[in-house]
This record gives sequence, structure tokens and C-alpha cells, in this order.
Amino acid sequence: MAVAWIGNREASLQRAAEEAAKLLQSSRCPVFSFDTDVHGTRAAIALAERVGAAYDHIDGAVLARETALFTDRGGMVVAPGETRRRADVVVIVGELPEAHRRFLLELAVTEPDQPAAGQRSFFSVGKQTPPLDGKRAATQLTCGEAGLAATLAALRALCAGRQVSTPVANFDIFAQAIAEARFPVFLFSGHAADALALEMLQGLIGDLNATGRASGLHLTASESGWGSALASTWMTGFPPRTGFSRGFPEHDPWRYDVARMIAAGEADCHLWISGSAERPPPKPRKDMLLVALAKTSGPVAGAAVTIRIGETGVDHDGVGYLARIGTLTALAARSPTDLPSAAAILRAIAEKVPAEAVPPC
Amino acid sequence: MLTKIAGGEIIDPVNGRSGKGDLWIRDEQIVEPPAGGKADRTFDASGCVVMAGAIDIHSHIGGGNVNTARLLLPKQHAAHLPRPAQTPLSNAGWSTFETGCLYAKMGFTTVVEPAMNPGAALHTHLELADIPIIDKATLAILGNDDFLLSLIRDGASEQAIDDYVAWTVGTTRALGVKVINAGAAAAFKENVRAFSLDDVVPSYGVSSRNIVKTLQASVGRLGVPHPLHVHCNNLGAAGAADTAAATIAAAEGLPLHLAHLQFYGYGTEGKRKFSSEAARLAELVNASPEVTIDVGQVMFGQTVTVSSDVMRQFSARATAHPKKWVIWDGDGNGGGIVPYRYREDFYGTLQWAIGLELFLLITDPWRVFFTTDHPNGAPFTAYPKLFELLMRRDARNAMAEGLSKSAMALSTLASIDREYTFDEIAIMTRAAPAKLLGLKDRGHLGAGALADVAVYRRGPDIAQMLGSAAFVFKNGDLVVRDGAVTHYRWGRALRLNPAPDRAMVRRLDDFYQDRYGLSLDWFSFPDSAIARENPFAEVA
Repeated sequence: MAVAWIGNREASLQRAAEEAAKLLQSSRCPVFSFDTDVHGTRAAIALAERVGAAYDHIDGAVLARETALFTDRGGMVVAPGETRRRADVVVIVGELPEAHRRFLLELAVTEPDQPAAGQRSFFSVGKQTPPLDGKRAATQLTCGEAGLAATLAALRALCAGRQVSTPVANFDIFAQAIAEARFPVFLFSGHAADALALEMLQGLIGDLNATGRASGLHLTASESGWGSALASTWMTGFPPRTGFSRGFPEHDPWRYDVARMIAAGEADCHLWISGSAERPPPKPRKDMLLVALAKTSGPVAGAAVTIRIGETGVDHDGVGYLARIGTLTALAARSPTDLPSAAAILRAIAEKVPAEAVPPC
Repeated sequence: MLTKIAGGEIIDPVNGRSGKGDLWIRDEQIVEPPAGGKADRTFDASGCVVMAGAIDIHSHIGGGNVNTARLLLPKQHAAHLPRPAQTPLSNAGWSTFETGCLYAKMGFTTVVEPAMNPGAALHTHLELADIPIIDKATLAILGNDDFLLSLIRDGASEQAIDDYVAWTVGTTRALGVKVINAGAAAAFKENVRAFSLDDVVPSYGVSSRNIVKTLQASVGRLGVPHPLHVHCNNLGAAGAADTAAATIAAAEGLPLHLAHLQFYGYGTEGKRKFSSEAARLAELVNASPEVTIDVGQVMFGQTVTVSSDVMRQFSARATAHPKKWVIWDGDGNGGGIVPYRYREDFYGTLQWAIGLELFLLITDPWRVFFTTDHPNGAPFTAYPKLFELLMRRDARNAMAEGLSKSAMALSTLASIDREYTFDEIAIMTRAAPAKLLGLKDRGHLGAGALADVAVYRRGPDIAQMLGSAAFVFKNGDLVVRDGAVTHYRWGRALRLNPAPDRAMVRRLDDFYQDRYGLSLDWFSFPDSAIARENPFAEVA
């Protein structure tokens, strides 16, 4: 079975890796976007350093909101296990990504057992109906036509005893629940909440902690993205949207937004990395070369080089972030194949790029 | 390959060597001078001091909280990168790669990450595996986790406690056990804001003292070489010296290690109700041979405090500089990240002086350990300057000149003449850490030892000399020449591997299924998940 293509012609892995290395090395502004596990991310960043590329996650748009919460503001967060065991009030902030539906359901069918057996009530901020599947109802907190950030602002103001121009529906029920709660937890994600909403939410949580306890549970908009953000941070000091164009890592969430760099015509060579068949590479711009590492049975349309890779946790083992435990976990292959991992191919490409004196980062 | 390090001044207190001589290395080990042996390569160490590679027993170099600190401070990192030489203390956000290189340049070859969250052991080990050159080790945190607190509350047998501690150490691939403000993180979840040694964790009825004593005894029974590593209650509080004194007394003749004692050296005298109790604590340590401490020296400048003492970090959040912080309620301890700038004001000066007093007034270099609690008191790159302060009284006094006079008046520092000798430095940073951690293969230069060797060119400037080694060998491989890293190699994480008790594994699995809806897979991972060759080395 073919594993690599140069243009539309089948090639050996060796030749395709050489060609990819040549294109990346001769590029004036190479950019990487990836959806891969921790080891794929590590290999991608090591290669990016070698060729002076900028890198971003394929979910960069939502991921950047979450990383910005930490780079720009900070706040209070709680582990998912503690949420299950302690949260007597659960507040769902905006629509949560589908991937977290199971955990929401789990919260809906369990009760807190710490510090003592108790009961859980649910609220939601915004107009969405949380998928608790009829197990529980969430009391909706809405504020006229206001969006999420403004609704959270009104909620925060009311909690602080201030006046607001538009009332928050059901605020009295919420205020009563918070007053009686021992550990309210706000579930948030960059999926629905923008940077301003996340910041306002942390303001509210901080206020509540002046006298009582409360925290936020980060249910990331992209588990693969957050895993990559962690690895990127320990390797370079920065989350994705980091570039090596000056020879050392620089982080700039606007400048190194790879989707923007491509749309603006800044990039001349795009390395796309995703082992997920559901994430096919984009059609390349005419003035830009595409190197695609993808789970594909044939050459990617318009790609200068295509190399077939497997999916972490399906074709091969790997390490990924799991929001349910709030940390990295080993992912065993569900149905192992001999498709190579993104990490293996990226290392093969890096080996074809002449090495600098000192290796990565 | 046979290597000869020729004509250096060899300082090896363990083997009683102190004077000019040659050191021979065959492959990865130090060997006796071979009879008629001819070296494959020879390094001229004349005019140099030759010591074993240094060992840092307490430095936060990897794991979830450290990574959150990096994420929180991108600007510090960005400011440092283009001009690393000009901003040696301003950067608290190093990458794993920089961490390994910066340590190696100073001749450090083994570093212990002292606060591994057992539920995130894989993350910690992945970070450590990306730190080049040096060997690493971790201490697993216990003492705020529901499972242990419940065992103590329910009067579980010593065997059950030991089985749980052993399972934790083995599963997380740790070298020892640490307890951090025992019980306080659990109490903080119930909105308790202050917690001392005899306070009781609500809902468990278990005192902090009880947790510490339970773990101390268990670690001893299990034969874990490193004594229980204790981060006491009330860190940073005026009057914390009383807590530290009570904890020292609580050792009761059994080994106990107190981390970063400087942060507890505070009394309540003076008009600011903040004074030095270092002399009193040093006297207590001197009189308690079962107790070891590390200092956690403060040096001035920007840093970030990274701690699993979530209650303390929460109460310190208003001091954040820059004004942002992260507080995380984790499954056991959680943690807090609060950036901080140590200023040359009254408080900063006093903290600085207290650390030095502890170093200089504790008489036994085998029981006082060289740390800044990186990055909490200062980044570890402050070590060369700190060596100078310990070895040169004039340097201390010159630095004190520019500091707060009113703080210095509350400290005994100015009256202390002691200067550390190279022999004492070799004990404090090599021999004693190896002994404390149970690492027989390092910390000395005897035949059979691992060839981790640091060679420093003698000069009048101690900081320059010890900050930039002439040669560093890791496992016999030359990794630093003239203060510059020559190439990467990948060290290992040193670990214990006690066999898990099957009944305890079943009990834990039931517990996690029932309370968390998760299997024990949460904690387990194969070595292959690290994706490096031989990422771990078992310490026998």
C-alpha cells in the first residue's frame, strides 16, 4: 500500500521526507498547523525550530481564547474529580463542546459526597439548553438579549450587590443557591466563551472566594489542542501560535495565527498534520506549497508532498490530554495498524534537515 | 573508553580525598588509576577544582504547576530570550531544554522535582524526560488526598497505610514522599483559611500532626531511603518559626526533612512584627540529629512562586507581581502560582538574611541543603551568587550595605564570620544529597561511582567559577566545556519500585470507580508513553 506521494506520484517514505524537508527548508515563511498527540506536537515543534517555522493548532481559534485566559489573566480552576465529588451547584457557562456531554450527564446522575452527602443543582448562563438529557433541569440565567460576557457581567454585578439596567432572569434562585452552596463550580470552555467572557467569569469566581469557596472547571474546546498547548509550553515557554523566525521562540497570538498567516498570503509553505480522517487538509492557495501528513489513501489534492499517517489511540499508542481527568494520559491503540505516527514522520523529516549545533528548543 | 582528568584539585569528602591528583573514568564509571593504563583522552585540570556532579534535592523543574507558571508569564520569558546574559534573574519561565542546559553549566547532574501530583505523574515525567543532560527524580505528594485522610480517620492498620504509600510511590515512579501543608488543601476546600500543626481537617477529624506522623512512620517502615519531605504549615507567615519548631520537635528521633526552612524563619518582633528567628531554628536543627533541612534562600528580583500549598498561595494572591495568579483545587493538593518580585526592602532583606543565617548557623553541612526552592526563593541560576555569599564574608557584607538597615538590625547575619570551604560545599551539594536520597552511585568520586564530574577553574570570582564549569561529565560523557553545553544526552528519572499489594490495588480500583467514576488507569502508564529509551532507572 502506498504511504507517500510527491505531487500525484507515489514515492518512498524516504524520498517524500527528503522532499518535504527540502520544501520546508527553502521556504521563506513556513507554517505548521496540527491536530496530533503530545509526541506529535513535540516532534512538530522540534522541526519548526529547525526550519524557522510558526506553529498553531488546527483548533487555534478556540484554543487561543483558553490559553489567553492563562497568559493574560490567570484565575481559579478545579479538578474534574473534585467537581464530581464536591460541586453542590454546577453552573454551565455557555454551550459546552459535545465532547463533554458524557461528563455533564455524569454530574447529572451523581450527587456530591464531600464534605458530606448532598445534592447538586444546575444553572446555565446563556440561552442554550444544557444536554442533561432530562435527568435534571438547569435554571437558566439570561439577561435580555445580552451575550455571554455581558450576562456574566450582570451576574457578577448583582452578586456584588450592584444595580444593573437589565435584570438577570432567575437571579434570586441563583443567589439563594450560591448563599447555601459549599463549593459551586462553573463549567467553562473557549468553545462558546470568548476572552472577555472568560475574564468576567473569573472575576465572578474571585469575588465569591472573598468569603466562600467556588471555582471553575476548564472543559477545553479541544482536548488535542490543550494537550499540544501543555507540551508547547514546556518545550518553548509558550502555547501554540509561536514562531521561530528569529531563531528563538516568540509567542504572538495574532502574528502567529497560522490561519491568518495563510489567508493574508504571508506563508509560502504549509505543513498540515492530522491523523484524523475527519479533518482533511484544506485546499492550498495557489501561491503556497502544501505538505500534508494525513490519514488518507491517496495524494491530497494540490499537495506538493503527502505522507500517510495513523491516528493516535486508534492506529498507534500515544499520549493525549483527557478533560475527564484534567491531565495527560496514555492512549492505547484501539485497532493497531502499521500506519506511522505523526511523530515518527516528523522526526524522519527533521533528520533530512541539516542539523544545527545544538538540538531542539 | 578511558578518560583521565589530570592534575586537578580533587575534593571528595566521602573518600577523604582533598588535594592534587588525577581522576580516571572508564566509560560511565570512575575507576582506580589503571596500572600502566593509557588514557584515550586526557583533560588538563591543572588550576581546577574537581568535584562530583552536584545534586539539587528540591527544585520545581517540571509538572503541571510549573507549566502553568510558564503559561502565566510569557512576557518574562519573552524578555529574557533575546538577551539571556543581561537578564539572569528575570526569567522564571524556562523551557525544559533550558532547564537542563542551565543546570549542567553549573556542574549539576541530578535534580529532584519535589512536588509531583500523583494523579498527573505522566505529565510530570514527560516534562522531566524533555530536560536534557541531567538525571531527575520526583517526590510524590500525599497527605491531602481523600484516600489517605480516610484511612487515618478510620484507624486503618499500618499495613494498609504502607500498602497505599508503596502503591503511590511505585505507580507514579517516585523516589520518595512529600507532604505539603498536611491537611490544609483539604481544609481549604471547606473554606478554612488558616491551618496549623494541631488544627484538624474538617470532616475527617484528623490533625495535620497526625498526617505528618503517619507518613513519617510509613516511609520509615517501607525503607524509603529519603525521609518524609515536609513542607510545614504556615509558610511565609510572621510567627511561622513556632510551627517549624513544633514540627522539628515532632520528628521525635525519627528521620524528617523540612523543606525551605527560610520561609518559616519569621518571628513577630519589631515595629513591623516581622523578625528573624533563624538563630533559634538553627539551634533546634543543630540539637536534632534526625532532622535535615534545605534552606530555600531568597535572592532579589523577579520570580514566580509555584507551590502545591494551595491555601498559602491563595492567601498570597494579593502580593502577585505582575498582578495575575492561578489557584487550582486539585484532587489532593492542587496548587497555586503567584508571581513575585523580591525587593531590597525591609521584608526582602530580612528573608535574604534569614536564609543566610540558617546556612551559616547550622553547623553540620551533612544536614543543611543548598536550595532556593527554585523558583520560589529565586531561580536556580542565582546559585553561583549564593555560593559566593556563603564562601566570602566580604561579599555578604558588601551586599548587605545596599539593603534595609532596619532589617539587618533584626538579624545576626552581620556578626557571623563563617565562610564555607570547598570541602563543605562538596558535602552540602554532593555527598549529603546522595546520602539523603539513597543514591550510592553518585555524590562522590570513588571507584565504582557514576562518572558525574564537575571541573571548575579556580579564580577570584567564586560566582564565575562555580557558575560556569570548565568541564562537566555526565555518565563519563563530556557535556559542558568552558561553560557551554557541547551536546544533549538524555538522563533518566531515578525511581523506587516497590511491588504493589494486590488487595490494595483492588481496593483502590473500587474506590476510584465508586467515588470518581474512573478506573485506576488514570494513574497508570507504560514506560513507553515517555517515548524515550530507558526513561527510568530503578534505585535499589
